[in-house]
Amino acid sequence: MRVNEKCVGCGQCTAFCKQDAIVVKGNAYITDKCTNCGICAFYCPLKAIEAEK
Amino acid sequence: MKINVIGAGLGGLLSAASLAIEGHEIEVFERLPITGGRFTNIEYHGFSLSTGALHMIPHGSTGPLGNLLKKIGADVEIVPCEPMAMIRIPANGSNNYKSGFKDISFNQFGSQFSMWNRLKLAILLVTTRRWPPKNISFENWIRKYLNEDSAHKTANSFCGWALSLTNRDVPAEEAFEIFENLYRYGGTGIPMGGCKGVTDALVEIIRSNGGKIHTNTEVSRIIVENNTARGVIADGNKHYSDVVISNIGHPFTRDLYDSYTINNAYEEKIDNVKSSAGIKTCLAADEPLIGHNGILLTPYCRRVNGINEVTNTDPNLAPPGKHLVMAHQSVRQEKIDKLEEEIEIGLQDLKEVFPNKKYEVILTQSYYDGWPVNRASSGSDIGNTTPINSLYVVGDGAKGKGGIEVEGVALGVMNTLDIIKQQHR
Repeated sequence: MRVNEKCVGCGQCTAFCKQDAIVVKGNAYITDKCTNCGICAFYCPLKAIEAEK
Repeated sequence: MKINVIGAGLGGLLSAASLAIEGHEIEVFERLPITGGRFTNIEYHGFSLSTGALHMIPHGSTGPLGNLLKKIGADVEIVPCEPMAMIRIPANGSNNYKSGFKDISFNQFGSQFSMWNRLKLAILLVTTRRWPPKNISFENWIRKYLNEDSAHKTANSFCGWALSLTNRDVPAEEAFEIFENLYRYGGTGIPMGGCKGVTDALVEIIRSNGGKIHTNTEVSRIIVENNTARGVIADGNKHYSDVVISNIGHPFTRDLYDSYTINNAYEEKIDNVKSSAGIKTCLAADEPLIGHNGILLTPYCRRVNGINEVTNTDPNLAPPGKHLVMAHQSVRQEKIDKLEEEIEIGLQDLKEVFPNKKYEVILTQSYYDGWPVNRASSGSDIGNTTPINSLYVVGDGAKGKGGIEVEGVALGVMNTLDIIKQQHR
């Protein structure tokens, strides 16, 4: 998954990530633990997470 | 009547629940998989953090939100904060907390002023309640009448906590309306179950009265005919209705319809809506850091405005034996591109506020622009109507005057319900 410029850092994604793969500090950062399951994107209020192209 | 609601945040749910119990046919459309918007819980490492708000209701069970919840029979218990707020002031007249501090009650505010300013404050409190000042910021009002550093700092920490604004950005008139409401309605409370306790109760009312809530369903258009809202298009399907209520703020609502006649005054108002930004830092602790359920205002921090510890009221918001502590700091618009630095300064502040205490940072959450603290900062609200008939806006982008955060949301919803009653008999 990839975080785009719409992210504000609200942290909603990290709470729903089952892999604990998102670090949030002013912005969300996807770590190596990400399995591309895509759950985070559903919960993002700003459409700020997209599947990697 | 058939009523469509766009967005299942607090304003949308309050409107939908109120109208559902009156027998109207309600459909709520929510883009996310969860209801509650920025007023619900997210579970994180065993703690019930929140999507936005700080598990508090500014005027407790007797304020606009508390009264509206009671009126519609929402099953929510709101526990009063006692004390409502304490102010942490440095020891020995210092300018920071490094060499010690003491906490004074919010009601004793002013006790640290000179004799003359204490007298003046008492007179000002009475006169400004009766004759609210106009066209002056809260900051300039304090400078003019009460030029005392601690007054500036306390006003800033209060405005930062309650509105996520600095006193420079709050009109004095709005600040005094808020103080007036503190007298009128009383102080803060904590909803049992946190924010989710409130929004889940509203969902329950909507469903048990036959209303429908569609999650994972995005509204792509508002159907407008003859300058009147006729329904919404969601996931490609048309849903007709007599009234459309939008909970997504004026600017996003405006983007959802085509208008053949441009209302310049409204467009200009939309452009002038300012959202407010903030950072919430969630801490976990084994021992209480604050020890009471009220707000700890921290005027002498560089960034942090105030902190609460809601587990003193509802221990279930944290794992057994743990405490959840939430600190809020407002963020000025020009600092938004330096958020990580702002978060760091806030974390340093917390070390000074809680010296020799053990705690862990669970999560830092920031809010601005499209997902802000308030879609319309206090004083920049533009009401609940739109140039389109039968289309109304509720939520924190359309609050009532003097309403802090969710209290303003409730005032705006009540106003909208009144308008709908008058317009659609």
